[in-house]
Amino acid sequence: MDPMLLPIAEVTDAGITDAGKAIALGVGAGLGSIGAGIGIGFIFGKEIESVARQPEMKDELQSIRWLGFALTEAVAFYTFIFGLIAFFL
Amino acid sequence: MTTRAKVLIGLGAYFGLAILMLLVFGSSGKNEAFQPQNEFKLEPWVSIHLGGIDFSINKAVLYLVLASALTIGTMVWISRRMQQKPNRVQTAIEVSYDLTKNNITGSHLDPKTAARWFPFLAALFFFIWFSNMIGFLPLPTNTEHEFSIFGLQVPAFALYAATANLSIPLALTLVVWVSYHVEGIRAKGLVPYLASWLPPGLEEMNPIGKTFIFAIEAISHFARMISLSVRLFANMLAGHLLLLFMGGGLAVLLGIAALGALTFPLAFFFFVLEVGLIATLQAFIFSTLTAIYIGGATSASH
Repeated sequence: MDPMLLPIAEVTDAGITDAGKAIALGVGAGLGSIGAGIGIGFIFGKEIESVARQPEMKDELQSIRWLGFALTEAVAFYTFIFGLIAFFL
Repeated sequence: MTTRAKVLIGLGAYFGLAILMLLVFGSSGKNEAFQPQNEFKLEPWVSIHLGGIDFSINKAVLYLVLASALTIGTMVWISRRMQQKPNRVQTAIEVSYDLTKNNITGSHLDPKTAARWFPFLAALFFFIWFSNMIGFLPLPTNTEHEFSIFGLQVPAFALYAATANLSIPLALTLVVWVSYHVEGIRAKGLVPYLASWLPPGLEEMNPIGKTFIFAIEAISHFARMISLSVRLFANMLAGHLLLLFMGGGLAVLLGIAALGALTFPLAFFFFVLEVGLIATLQAFIFSTLTAIYIGGATSASH
């Protein structure tokens, strides 16, 4: 490589690493949220459907709904945490 | 005025304020000095090193002690002054007692196991709830530097939760993980307990297939350790980060004041969401899953 271009190449390498980390955080958190969003939509949609069919089951379904919501929502945070790990480490 | 016009005026004011601020203040460039991750950095306040292990007292230890003291203190205080006609605090405690006894413990365990494990599960619920909640008390001490109260130098300690640090959820999870295996072995014996990991309906299967499925089940038991701890930790960490960024951190970091006008109302929304739903829900989930794991380990048919 031309010696004149070497400093620029080094700067760009660091820049590429930073860009890769930022992309990892953005894509990780963003794509993870898509899956969890679909899942949470399913849970609440099905719960509404079930309560509309059998209103007397409402109390029983409520605790199951929160359990399902928390389990699904956590998936988004797993990707977020791994994105942060990629960003800071 | 129609509702539509009101909504449009509100949105117009919201974005108009942001655009006005962008025109007035402009962008002051990226701020390199502000490091948002420092909120989660644990500076040792009292350095203690014993045999190569770091026992230093830091912010997380303070919050751990605060949460434990609050949990024990509230419960003892309420139980000392029980009244026939309950006041508001007693009513709240009674509702949460009912939640832990009937909903979390009662519906996932058989009566004998429930009686034995109820104190543990309730303590888990209340400890996690208190340590989540005190993380959201807005204190005016949220700086990166030491500040002084009447000449006394106090390290900054605001807006942190013991559960926003992986160590504490992981320690709780290890206790849960070991205790549900011990309870399963005590209820069934070692070999029948391990055999009960296999789902029913595999009696006809050859030994190689059974070994394969057993290996998958064993991995899933180890994955529970990660999922249980990271769920609580990540929820609290992400909640604190959201509040930090929405409440002005993003505007300071990027040096754009107009962004603050856009994100600040969202901070209120997320604060209500975190305090009203997530803090309680995570405590509920952690103890419910513990009850489900213990119930799965002890019940006769898997």
